[in-house]
Order: sequence, then structure tokens, then C-alpha cells
Amino acid sequence: MPSWSEFEPFIVSGLALGGVYALSGVGLVVLYRATGVLYLAFGAVGAMGAFLTYAMIQASLPDWLAWIVCILFGGVITLIYGMIFGPPLARRDPLVRAVATLGLTLILFGAMDLLWPPTGGEVRSISLPTDNGGFTVAGLQVDWTQLIGLCAGVVLTVGTAAFLRYTKLGTAMRAMANDREITATLGVPVRRVEAAAWFGCGILAGIAGLLLADLVQLDPTTLTFLVISSLAAALIARLRSIAVTFVAAIVIGVVHDLLTPITSLTNYRDMTPFVLAAIALLWVSRHRTVMTRSREEA
Amino acid sequence: MNRYSRRRPRLAAAAVAVIAIGGVIAGCSSNNNSNSSTSAPTSSATTSAPATSSASPSTSAAAASTSSCGTKPGVAATGTPIPLGGIVTDQSGTSFTDISNMAAAYFACVNANGGINGHPIKYYIETEQTNATQIASEAKQLVQSDHVVGIVGNTSIIECSVDSSYWQAQGFNIIDSGIAPECYSTPNSAAVNMGPRYSSDGAVQYALTQHPSKIVFDQSNVPGTTYIAAGPNALAKAAGVPITDDATNVPVSDANSVAIQLVDQAGKDGAVVLNFTPPDALVILEAAQKLNIEGNVKEWGCSTPCNTDFLAKSLGSKWNGKFFVNAELTPPDPTTSPAMSLYRAILAQYGKAVSGGIGSFSQMGFTEAELMVKALESVTGAYTVTSVNAAIKALKNVDTGMLCQQWTYGSYSMHIPNNEDYTVTPDNGEMVIAPNGGCTQISAVDPQIAQYRSEAGTAPSDPTSSS
Repeated sequence: MPSWSEFEPFIVSGLALGGVYALSGVGLVVLYRATGVLYLAFGAVGAMGAFLTYAMIQASLPDWLAWIVCILFGGVITLIYGMIFGPPLARRDPLVRAVATLGLTLILFGAMDLLWPPTGGEVRSISLPTDNGGFTVAGLQVDWTQLIGLCAGVVLTVGTAAFLRYTKLGTAMRAMANDREITATLGVPVRRVEAAAWFGCGILAGIAGLLLADLVQLDPTTLTFLVISSLAAALIARLRSIAVTFVAAIVIGVVHDLLTPITSLTNYRDMTPFVLAAIALLWVSRHRTVMTRSREEA
Repeated sequence: MNRYSRRRPRLAAAAVAVIAIGGVIAGCSSNNNSNSSTSAPTSSATTSAPATSSASPSTSAAAASTSSCGTKPGVAATGTPIPLGGIVTDQSGTSFTDISNMAAAYFACVNANGGINGHPIKYYIETEQTNATQIASEAKQLVQSDHVVGIVGNTSIIECSVDSSYWQAQGFNIIDSGIAPECYSTPNSAAVNMGPRYSSDGAVQYALTQHPSKIVFDQSNVPGTTYIAAGPNALAKAAGVPITDDATNVPVSDANSVAIQLVDQAGKDGAVVLNFTPPDALVILEAAQKLNIEGNVKEWGCSTPCNTDFLAKSLGSKWNGKFFVNAELTPPDPTTSPAMSLYRAILAQYGKAVSGGIGSFSQMGFTEAELMVKALESVTGAYTVTSVNAAIKALKNVDTGMLCQQWTYGSYSMHIPNNEDYTVTPDNGEMVIAPNGGCTQISAVDPQIAQYRSEAGTAPSDPTSSS
């Protein structure tokens, strides 16, 4: 078993990884709460935006413009999907709505493969100015991009929670999460609220895609499927609590990296999100059963 | 209560479904990676099929003559075509088509300059997506429908494993770029490259010359890792240097933790040797650089896929003299030999489909086509499967201009004809030959190399491969 000092650097790297999982997880939960859709295309949308950024930078366009396009692309493509497919699928089973977003995933995945095919060796990458500079923790250099990734998760969690609690739009979203029909009957502009949720979720996908392209790598497969860890975090929070999603994402990132130096477990560390999600769901399920029985006996 | 009861099973069902979908996606992703890999294979990981330089054909190369690729300069071949075939991986994240496309460019050049005794070459290229059924079917199609008389340019993650027996039964001797073990361990496949195992041997061998206290060998976690690691392990053990084998899932999504682990394992006097495709190697190296721990080990090494100018440019000057990469083919940048000039000229005139330009992939395609043309030119009489493949097997001590050694096919139980290599290192955005990194034989401490040399001997140096 490695010593504590050997684990220290992995806590730092795990926090950075968990931060970006949190960023995606929060976006997924917000959209689910407002529309009932589990948006599996989150990663692919971010990846496509990141590739557009790469293409624009290669074309010598200003970096800042490329970043804005990446973020806006996420918002616009998600909004378009939500406006076209949201209403007809609104009455369908949640599973159907989730699987429908896989269609968008595959379309974007195919488009990336078509537009940016493997070149036989050339490596594509995006670098942000925040990669230069930072500070040292536990003998490791932490750059500003990693810190931004972590902070963005915190800020979005707090900001989104406040938005849902204190704004009219947020209240409408929470109401829709409880009962879409009754909310519509009360005069809430359901379509407009949903549009805001789709657009906001897409913006988060764009931000996450840009950060992950820098922090992980600019690869369609990697970026598209990195959302799985975020999904696990969202599931642990039962697709409801933004705060729990954030904490779960951080825990997944840290546990994942802490397993790295343990020789017997290191090859299984990619299972971390699934194992933690399964344990959490089983615990929640058992806990609720016990609570229900206790109430019935009382 | 009723409402809660209605919602709970629905949420539970959704949760189970999502975990299942996630698992499937992860599985697909993992499969895709492990199969690929690649070039940049993702899994290719295991492929040592090298990568491409970002350089483009120089203008002087374009000006060089392509007439020397045929016996009748400027006279197009009009005879009965000689059908040849090749199977290459071409899938998301992994494409080896530059190799077959460069071979096709060479054949186009030959056809425009007299062909083979007046016969043009017709080259059928089949692409596959790491699907054994598809690969087996393509081999049959080449033989039964296209009636090919020779197979050249095969570069696939699993093709050698799938088709080896079939080719043997049909009497074909393949000239290929090897990845799977069967590309090297069977009597009817001979590669122009060294493949992941022997290229990793080369990287470890060079690292050992720097006298590290320990070696950490990390590669993509795909099928075949034990086979590849056996070579580096034999070399390190013979040198009395402890070695640790790691296998990392690809694509690498947690490069920071991987880099930290490698550096921790190696220690300040140790060496880290990687066997990954360029994208995955780059993210690990960049992670080490960002974490400022690249200097916490004595040296870093890598097998051939890392030999790209693009990687050298991406890494920057911090890695000058710190990072050493095995190179299976003659580095094109400083070389002005006739073969290298012809290669550049063909690439410029006929190689529009070669997306990566100058680099190891196109060098391999050039060399394989060059060898096939030499074999065809030696055929007397009709071009049949029997005559062509006998000519291929008879290739002996051929100067390719692209390898350290002369290349031989021969009647051996296994083929590792390229077993002498270079070592290059980044130098301000370019890969240059490292100090003492000229042609060096891969050590016969690797039992496979020893077995091959016991059968085939040691090939003489190729005098045409240097400028």
C-alpha cells in the first residue's frame, strides 16, 4: 500500500478531474429537472464545439472569437434540438427521451469523423492562455485552467442553485420538474422555460468541451464519452440535487485518481463512476425501503 | 404517497437504463480504443506503425524526377494489368491508409514510366474497421473476385492474426507493415517496419545506455501487451535493471494521474518508456510538463509512433535531450539519398491522397511498393500467384534506401527483416538523430530477435540509406 505522501499528488489531480466532471453533471441535472430529458449528447456537443474552435484557430481567426463560437455552438445546437424534438417527445417515457439524444450524439460524432478524420499521426490540440502559469501544491504544478475547471464547477453549482431558488424562471423550472401539465395550466410559458433550459445546458456543454479539450485531449471519442462519469455523478444525486451532483463528481474524480498508485486496482479505476453510482443507488434504495417500512409500522 | 410510489420505480428504471446505456457506451468506447488506437492508432497502441511528420514535400523534391521509378521513362504501360491487393485499417481514430495510398502512388509512377515489362499494376485497396469477419471476407474477395497475384501494403491491427492461415493456404507471401504478432512470427509475412515489440525494444535499449536505476514501461492496455512487454523485460533484466510494466487504458482521459504514477515509479534516476500512439503519448508527456514533473526522472523514451515533428513542436524545448524516440526508418529530414529523393518526388507528383505527407507511414508504403516492384521485375513468364510469390520470397539483401539494413524475405519460419534502427530526439520542434542514435541492432537478448537471427543471420547494412 502506498504511503500518504504518495497519495497526495493524486488528490490534487483528482480534484481537477472531479471539477470538470462536476461542470458537466450540473448541466445534465438542470436540464433534466426542467425538461425531464437526460441529455446524452452533452459530451458530443462540447466536442464538436471544441473542434470548431480548433478549426478557427487553425484558420488564424482570433482565439477569443473561437472560444465564443464553441460556447455558443453548444447553446444553439442544443436549443435547436430541444425545440424540434422536445415537444413531440415530451409525453414519451424518460428512457425514450434519453435515447433520442443518442441520435444527436451519433450525428455529431459522425460529423467530427468526417470533417476532422484521423490524419495518420498528426495530433490536434487546443491550448488556453491560462495553461501558462499557476502554483505548486504537493510538489505538483497546478495551472490556472485546472483551477478554472474546479472553480467553474463550484460557481455553477452555487449560481444554478440560487437561480433555481430566487428567480422566476428558476421557480418555473422547478415547477415543471414537479408537474409539467399543472405548471402549464397555471400560465407558465412552458416552451419558453424549456428553451431557456436547453440553451443554458448547451452553453455549459460548450464551456465543458472547451475546458476538457485543453485539460484532457481534443479527441472526438474521449470528449464524447467523458460525459459518462458526469452521468454517474448525476445519478448519484438521483438527477435532482445539484449540490450532491457536485460532491459526487468530486468524489468520483478523487477516488478514481487515488486508485492509480494501488497496483492491484489501478487497471480497474475507470470503473469508479459505475461502482460508486451502483453503490449509491443501492444504498438509497435500501434506505428508502427501511424508512417506508418504519413509517408503515408506526 | 401514491405519487411517490409511482415515481420511484420510474426513476429506478431510468437509472438502471442509464447505467446500462453508459456501460454499453463505455464498452463500445473501450473496444474502439483497444482496437484502435491508434496512429495513430489508438490502440495502435500497440501499433508501432509510426506516425507522420508534419513536414510537406519540399519544392526541391517536387522538382526531382520520377522517371527513375520505371524502366521506360515517360512511356505509359498498356499491357495486361498485374492485379495486386492490400488491406488497411481505416476507422475513427485509426487510419493506415497513408501507407496503401503511398504504395498506390508508387505504382502509378511505375505505370507512367513503362510499368513492369509493359504491364501496369492494378492495386486494389480494401479498408477494414477491426472486424474479423469483414477482414476475412476482404481477403477472399481479393483472391476470388479481383484475382490478385500479390498482397502488399497490408497494415491492420488484426489482419495478420485473422488472415495468416488463409494467405498461407493460398500461397501468398505478404509484404506488409506489421502490428499483430503474426506479422512477424509466421513464414508468409514480412514487414518493413519493426512493429510495437521490437520498436519498444529499441527504445528501452537506448534508455539503458544512459544507465538508469530503473525502467518503467507503459503501453496501451489492449490485447497483446504481454507479448510486447516481453522484449523490453528481457533487455532490462539482462542489463540488471529493474523494470515495471504498466498498461494504461486508451484514449487516456486521466493523463495527470498517469504521468504522476510513471514518474513516482521511475524515481529521479529512472527512465520512463512509452508505447502509445502520438495523441496518447502526447497527452501523457504534456501532462508531465504541465505538472512540472518531467524533470523528476532521468529520461523519457518512446517507441516509433512518437517520431513525428508535430510531437516535437508540441512539446517544446523543455524536452530537448530528455526524450528519446525509436525510429524504424531512415529519418527523411537530413537525408538526400536517391531513394529519399525519389520518395519525395513521387509523393509530390502522385501522392495527393497521402494526407500526412512526408513521414514514417508514407515511407513504409514507398518501401513496400519498391520491394514488390523489384520482385515483379524478376518474374520471368506469366504473372501468377505462384510466380509472383516465389519472386517475393526470393528477395534477398535488397537496398531500399529507407532502412538501416538490406531487406530479405527468404524461407524462414518467422520474419523480422528490419531489426536495426535509429534513435531520434526533439530539437526545437524537429526530430533529429540522438547522440549515438545512428543505426543500432536490436539486441538478441529478445528471444524473438535471437531466433530470427539464428535462422536468417544478420543482414548487411544498406549503403543507400544515408545521404
